[in-house]
Amino acid sequence: MAVVTGLIMLENILQSLAAGLLIGAIYGLMCVGLALIFGVMRVINFAQGDFMMLGMYAAYYAFALFGVQALFGSTIGPYVAALLAAPLLFAVGYGVHWALVSRVTGTRTAGLDGDGHYAQLILTLGTALILQNGAMIVFGSYPVSVQTPLSVSAWEVGPLWDDYVSVFVNKARGIAALVSVATILLLARLIASSRLGKALRASADNPEAATYMGIDVQRSHRVAFALGTAITAVAGALLATNYPFHPYVGLEYVIVMYAGVVMGGMGSILGAFWGGMTIGVVQQMSTLILPTQLQNTAIFVIFLLIVFLRPQGFFGRVVERT
Amino acid sequence: MLRIAQLSAGYSGVPVLHDVSIEVEEGRFVAIVGPNGAGKTTLFKTISGTVAPMAGAITFGGVDLLAVPAHRRPHLGIAHVPEGRQVFPSLTVMENLEMGAYTEAGRIAWAETLERILEWFPVLGERRGQPAGTLSGGEQQMVAIGRGLASAPKLLMLDEPSMGLAPAIADFIFERLIEIRRQSRLTILLVEQRVAEALESADHSYVLEAGRVVLEGDNQELRADDRVRQAYLGM
Ligand SMILES: Nc1ncnc2c1ncn2[C@@H]1O[C@H](COP(=O)(O)OP(=O)(O)O)[C@@H](O)[C@H]1O
Ligand SMILES: [Mg+2]
Repeated sequence: MAVVTGLIMLENILQSLAAGLLIGAIYGLMCVGLALIFGVMRVINFAQGDFMMLGMYAAYYAFALFGVQALFGSTIGPYVAALLAAPLLFAVGYGVHWALVSRVTGTRTAGLDGDGHYAQLILTLGTALILQNGAMIVFGSYPVSVQTPLSVSAWEVGPLWDDYVSVFVNKARGIAALVSVATILLLARLIASSRLGKALRASADNPEAATYMGIDVQRSHRVAFALGTAITAVAGALLATNYPFHPYVGLEYVIVMYAGVVMGGMGSILGAFWGGMTIGVVQQMSTLILPTQLQNTAIFVIFLLIVFLRPQGFFGRVVERT
Repeated sequence: MLRIAQLSAGYSGVPVLHDVSIEVEEGRFVAIVGPNGAGKTTLFKTISGTVAPMAGAITFGGVDLLAVPAHRRPHLGIAHVPEGRQVFPSLTVMENLEMGAYTEAGRIAWAETLERILEWFPVLGERRGQPAGTLSGGEQQMVAIGRGLASAPKLLMLDEPSMGLAPAIADFIFERLIEIRRQSRLTILLVEQRVAEALESADHSYVLEAGRVVLEGDNQELRADDRVRQAYLGM
């Protein structure tokens, strides 16, 4: 009897771990978007959660109204819609940077109070509020989600240990996690070895020296902002196949993103991914011992512990920028 | 090639440079010397466009440089090796050099220039995969100079390349500059605190004090000047 109880506990732990890894992969992608913006521009974007919300609605409407479902079906359609959110939100990020953010960042901020950080704070918070309220007016408050038959079916891993232990992997979440990891690998490759990626890193390392190389640092910032927006939007759109969302959903995830990015060492792309992953796992594992309502409290406690004990993050860069 | 006329520039409306006129002919090696705070770095930044001028004109190869945004100026053939090296710390040595070759001229000449850079500074080849931030000061200076050369420039501007380096390393850097110049016939504009060496290697030098050109001439003319002998050469 004790053995069976033990195995059931083991099964619960493995099940939570699997759920944590799957959701963590998406949190990771979300965090990567924010880290890209912070890493290149040193701007804290409080509207990141709301860009994610826009990504969710973009995928939702692309899927339901603009023919993606009709064209690709309900199985593949949601993922096509999620990827379609990328160029759309890239354009949104590009426009927001051009119209607003560029006015309080970069070389313009030299000499401003707090290097322009106050202006950035107010501007991105204001953008967040406008996006939330605007979405409320346009999309309404009723929660929606991208419907796929995959979200109610699962792969079974096992049975392991004499038929007692089986882990179920939700198909929709499994595929979302795979798409997420693939997106990150693609981005990591772009940043590591393309001319654009190197110019972004050079602009982040030393904007003045980058200018002396002939790099348009303002343009680097715009591309990083747009790319970061697009990446987080894809994460949101992947999440939208599993979780109903509404115009204020960004608030729920902004804490996840910040915790992940701080854990990852502020600005390190792969660090942010592992940070997001860690949060996913902590969140899901915490449900084993804590009531579900306390999930986000668990994340916050971890966040505070990290800020107190290891402010440089767990996966921080080896070389700091000058 | 580079013509600076009656230039005034500074920060937040306070001028640092007053009525500075300097000319660099193609193929020449021109040095600017002067005490700390004279405005040498400010002059370089105004040429590169990271400091805005208040009055005056700068032309480069006949082009009105002040009408060109800062990030386009390197594409015209101006390489600025900034004071304090300013390498990209998280990029590898090779990536730093590649960033130098961000200009079209640099990209076209890349294979050839890289070979020459590694000949002049073999240690950069050994360190090619290492983040530049982990190098010693002397090695970082080599990266900074190599990065400047990688753009295949028409004019190489160097701001105190020996600053903060041990004397032996500074000697080496200086000796390399003279060798690079001998082999490439590159036009060079150098700011240096090692006044004796600078005057000796340059075809023509300017003395900048408190934001004004107080003296100019070739090595012999400047060495004959009592103030230069006293203030800079310790004679
Ligand atoms: N970013 C800046 N803001 C305000 N003043 C500056 C700045 N940089 C330099 N200065 C001032 O300009 C003057 C000239 O400095 P600089 O051009 O660095 O001289 P040098 O390179 O000859 O030592 C100095 O008085 C310095 O304090
Ligand atoms: Mg200086």
